[in-house]
Amino acid sequence: MTSSQLFDAEQMMSGIRDLARQIADHFTDSDRDIALVGIHQLGVPLARLLHEELGKLNLKTEFGMLDITMYRDDIGTRSMLPRIHETVISFDVNDKEIILVDDVLSTGRTIRAALDALTDYGRPGLIRLAVLVDRGEPEFPIRADFVGFKIALPAERKVLVNFEAVPGMSAGIFDVNWQK
Amino acid sequence: MQWKRKDLLGLYDLSAEEITFILDTAAEFKKVSERRVKKVPALRGMTVVNFFVEPSTRTRVSFELAEQRLSADIVNMQAQASSLLKGETMLDTVKNIEALQVDLVVMRHSATGAQNFIADRLKCGVINAGDGAHEHPTQGLLDLFTIREKKGGFKGLNVSIVGDILHSRVARSNIWGLLKLGANVTVAGPSTLVPREFEEIGVRVCHNLKDAVANADVVNLLRIQHERQNNGFFPGIGEYSANFGVKAATMEWMKPDTLIMHPGPINRDVELAGEVADGENSVILEQVTNGLAVRMAVLFLVAGCRK
Repeated sequence: MTSSQLFDAEQMMSGIRDLARQIADHFTDSDRDIALVGIHQLGVPLARLLHEELGKLNLKTEFGMLDITMYRDDIGTRSMLPRIHETVISFDVNDKEIILVDDVLSTGRTIRAALDALTDYGRPGLIRLAVLVDRGEPEFPIRADFVGFKIALPAERKVLVNFEAVPGMSAGIFDVNWQK
Repeated sequence: MQWKRKDLLGLYDLSAEEITFILDTAAEFKKVSERRVKKVPALRGMTVVNFFVEPSTRTRVSFELAEQRLSADIVNMQAQASSLLKGETMLDTVKNIEALQVDLVVMRHSATGAQNFIADRLKCGVINAGDGAHEHPTQGLLDLFTIREKKGGFKGLNVSIVGDILHSRVARSNIWGLLKLGANVTVAGPSTLVPREFEEIGVRVCHNLKDAVANADVVNLLRIQHERQNNGFFPGIGEYSANFGVKAATMEWMKPDTLIMHPGPINRDVELAGEVADGENSVILEQVTNGLAVRMAVLFLVAGCRK
């Protein structure tokens, strides 16, 4: 595996602030009933950061997190399943304006599953999609409404977002090649 | 960790980490049943056969509902209606089921190890819904789930299981699970039903109810099986009830927050007085609710790890 940094921590944070501004500019009417729902795993920390940034821009949002494992389209075809993380939707979904949040829009399959999962909780008034990275070539007809970075890379390469530095890897956005 | 087993046969085989993984998964499935839409598409397109060679009502209903809430297709087979009566071997019966491209077999059998025998010979997943006096892993898991939810954990927790331990698969699955997770286990009942040999696996053996419950955080009562009454294991129901039945007066020996559990069906006023079964320490109906969540988790994990 080889990896190269596409954006450092500071550039990533400015992308997140830009994403928050796009959302705030769109939802200008302040009495709207808006919720950010992060998709596990990395949509959750991103939704948290956006929730904070939107607060600074005077846009109040509710916060939720969604696990889509029970809604995947590849159960029984993989050798094993990912761990199920906690879903917390503590607000009434009916008529809510919901912004789904994920770190990377790649195939679109996660978002397809998230739409099914979310609508099992009620009937939202509107659903929009915010992603930090849009890879630009989804397999499903799904597009993001708010995008931090557009990154075009061959399908076999992976875009990895590190919100916090971990041993051996700093925070930032990386291009990872699994084949090398 | 990730789940890597195609079958769930017993808690004896599982590590503490695997048990905890199932309980964590079940916690998320419990929330599904609390929603208005009580169904997820996880097992859509998969077929589950419930093969009950020994009669069962509550376990079968719980499994069936769990399968429906996972969107699986279901076939129910009972021994009375199967070709076992026409002389077909059990292995041929399940091989025929597998040839119909089913994905999972949930099986109950009166013979110890029947499911292990079948699981070794089938490509599809096998879930043990009770085999003889050996194991009833989903009952053990739902008891563990209920204890963890109420008490927060297992380390140093005192759990007493009272009743016919000798013939009980529920007791065995509980014992293996509890010991792996760090609880102290006491088994109690008449010496004919709770032989000293149980000490060899690391549990305390007790032939006096007061001793068994005095320091317990959890008291799990097993059903006294009427059908064994004539086998000479104890003189009579009345005598059993007088010595080992839990009544309102027994509660005075216990800590105020001791949980009262029972896998059902209850013989009211034999092993457990009605007022205790319905009292505030009882979590018996919560066990039933949790059983559904645990079975959804097990079906999901076992179905999900196969290629």
